[in-house]
Amino acid sequence: MQKLDCETVMRQLWDYLDGELTPEWALELAAHLAACQRCHPQMAFEQAFLTVLASTRSTGNHSAALRQRVMAMLQAEGITPSARD
Amino acid sequence: MTAPPTDLPEADFTLEALPHLDAVAGFARWLAGNGADADDLVQETFLRAHRSWQTFRPGTACRAWLFTICRNLHYSTRTREARMDPVSDADLEALAAAALHSSAKESGLGDVFDRFDLRDAVRREIEKLPPATREVVVLVDIEDWSYEDTARALEIPIGTVRSRLFRGRRVLQERLLTHARDAGLVGGNRQEKKG
Repeated sequence: MQKLDCETVMRQLWDYLDGELTPEWALELAAHLAACQRCHPQMAFEQAFLTVLASTRSTGNHSAALRQRVMAMLQAEGITPSARD
Repeated sequence: MTAPPTDLPEADFTLEALPHLDAVAGFARWLAGNGADADDLVQETFLRAHRSWQTFRPGTACRAWLFTICRNLHYSTRTREARMDPVSDADLEALAAAALHSSAKESGLGDVFDRFDLRDAVRREIEKLPPATREVVVLVDIEDWSYEDTARALEIPIGTVRSRLFRGRRVLQERLLTHARDAGLVGGNRQEKKG
């Protein structure tokens, strides 16, 4: 197995964190990241950044007025929303 | 291979599509802002979705189908130019981000994303991204879509998803680090996360 260099790992770091690499390739990067004092802090920095981005996701409950408006529109289209909605 | 369109009961629309209303509203606001335009876009999305319900393929992701309708409606009123953004090389963007981390460490901001609550700043900066970059960042980083699903929904190659995503992340990091420096967060404790 060819040893990975830091630049190759940096080029693929986001793909790795996004789960977009093949399992074999991901394992190779994981091994490098666990052992490399230069790349490991970089990974922690990027993980923290991606966590902040993900935390901005809307938790729902946009305005009740919007929901009522969509329901009214659908009822006008002939749909009877189910009790679940 | 996905199944061809079938005769879907009307009732399925309320069970399959309506539970995604909040998610569609969130996506619409990233596309069209927080004003009435976003609410109009949501309403139009569900109207269009209902009228196209027979084209929905059971077993596929209804949320992705609704997002695609939402996005297509949003861009149908905008020029092609508004959707373009500069081409960038994904690998170079990844390397540029690595350099940003080095710079952040040198200025005492190496743990800025762990220590401070930057969500409001992140939201503001995402809204400032070019539309084509912003929609990829929203789908992958906020909605947690894969590159492949994002490429399919936006009808662009995976390589374009990757380059737009990485460029968006690099730009966001640059701006957030600038924000942190301007806000005096270096070595301080303002806006520090609780708990």
